[in-house]
Amino acid sequence: MSFLVPHLAEFGQGILLTLALIVLGWAGALVLGTLLAALRVCPLRSARASAAAYVLVFRNVPLPVQMVLFVFGLPLVGIQLPLFASAAVVLVIYTAPFVAETLRAGMNTVSVGELEASRALGFSGAGALVNVVFPQAFASMVLPMGNVLITMVKNTSVAAIVGVAELTFVADKVAIAEVQPFIVLGGAAVAYIVIGLLLRRMITSLERKAAFAR
Amino acid sequence: MITALFDPPGPKARGRHRLLEVGAILLLVAVAATVIAMLASHEFFTPAAWTPFAQWGLWRLVGLGLLNNVAAAVVAMVLSMMAGVLLSFGLTSSAPAVHGVSRAVTAMLGSIPVLLLLFFASLMLPAWGLQLPDFWFLVIALTLYSGAVIGDLLAAGVRALPRGQSEAAAALGFSPTRTLVTILLPQAVRKIAPALVSQLVIVFKGTALAYVLGGYIELLHTATVIGSYYSQSSLQALVVAAVLFMLVNIGLSALSRAVERHERRRFGLRAASQVEQIVAAA
Repeated sequence: MSFLVPHLAEFGQGILLTLALIVLGWAGALVLGTLLAALRVCPLRSARASAAAYVLVFRNVPLPVQMVLFVFGLPLVGIQLPLFASAAVVLVIYTAPFVAETLRAGMNTVSVGELEASRALGFSGAGALVNVVFPQAFASMVLPMGNVLITMVKNTSVAAIVGVAELTFVADKVAIAEVQPFIVLGGAAVAYIVIGLLLRRMITSLERKAAFAR
Repeated sequence: MITALFDPPGPKARGRHRLLEVGAILLLVAVAATVIAMLASHEFFTPAAWTPFAQWGLWRLVGLGLLNNVAAAVVAMVLSMMAGVLLSFGLTSSAPAVHGVSRAVTAMLGSIPVLLLLFFASLMLPAWGLQLPDFWFLVIALTLYSGAVIGDLLAAGVRALPRGQSEAAAALGFSPTRTLVTILLPQAVRKIAPALVSQLVIVFKGTALAYVLGGYIELLHTATVIGSYYSQSSLQALVVAAVLFMLVNIGLSALSRAVERHERRRFGLRAASQVEQIVAAA
């Protein structure tokens, strides 16, 4: 295992970059996804149409293609972003429609009667949404949202194809350099499994807290 | 829900909405105009950049690239269905050891990125003496991931079936394996059919990862090759590839919805909502 020692710093950096992509990507995707979900129920037809168009395009173009297009294509039209920043932005752009869809599906699990009753009691649309619908929808949203998060964690590895030195990229490079693919790639896999397990644990404990008898 | 969110707009609100609508459309037009102006200023629309696309041979190349994506996706999907059926045996098994091992395998494969599996296949298999073309590395990586997902879906579909199905089979003297193969799995497959088509979309999107190996000429790779031959058209080639990927996926998503509608017409609304629950639980 001594061949790993000179690469420890690299691996640390790789894991840090992966974690940074996860945090930034998830924060951005939650914001953009919520915005998209809100636009889809907006009374303005043009807002609904543009949100639908966004979802259609960015959900259906594969992530590797978006990554290459963004990183190698945008500089050709004069937009230069740092490599890591572009990878994070692509991750946000790609994940947001899935977040929006999960939000919508979660909101739909609350029966219309709840909303109608609170509107009849004088809640505004936004007030009813925040105080009545969302707290109930949250419980049924935790697990599917967790699945979206886990998928995004795995998708952070796609940044490797444009050269972001995150965990998968570092693992591949070291595995080739040291001709030890099994140990190095296996180690990276274990790191992803650990990250996944920790997130799953967090998600289930959050779900237990949010669950309530309906 | 959407209709209950707002009061029906009165004359004043309707006027306000019309005004806002005009504003929003103006904003969209302004954004579109800025993007087009920016693209135009970097010679995106100049005829010289698009002349390579007037050649028949270039479209043949693009078509072959897309066909390679489709081929890899179809082979990977077929193999992962087989792997999924095998895994669902273990996942529905009553032997704790078998059940535990198959759960651990699905959970593990479910949290490793496909790209890492791809690197693993492309480096490990040659080291073990299996010199395969990149096509098979891609197919193996996608199968490992997708097989786990489908195994999970099938097991959830089987669990969602009424108990009477397996009890009746046991009463008729079917062995557990035969019950699963001839009675439970066929029904589970029908239940999760829309989710299977969605999985095909995911697998198809995953085939673009082969770009990183460079030995399998799929569409994204083709686009970058075209870009290196005609440097003035490199962005155009990527955009064409993205649009083609998008169209195929939109078609597959439409197919998934059609399958769901079909099941709904056949089994009523309950079947459709069950599918959603199964997919959410898996």
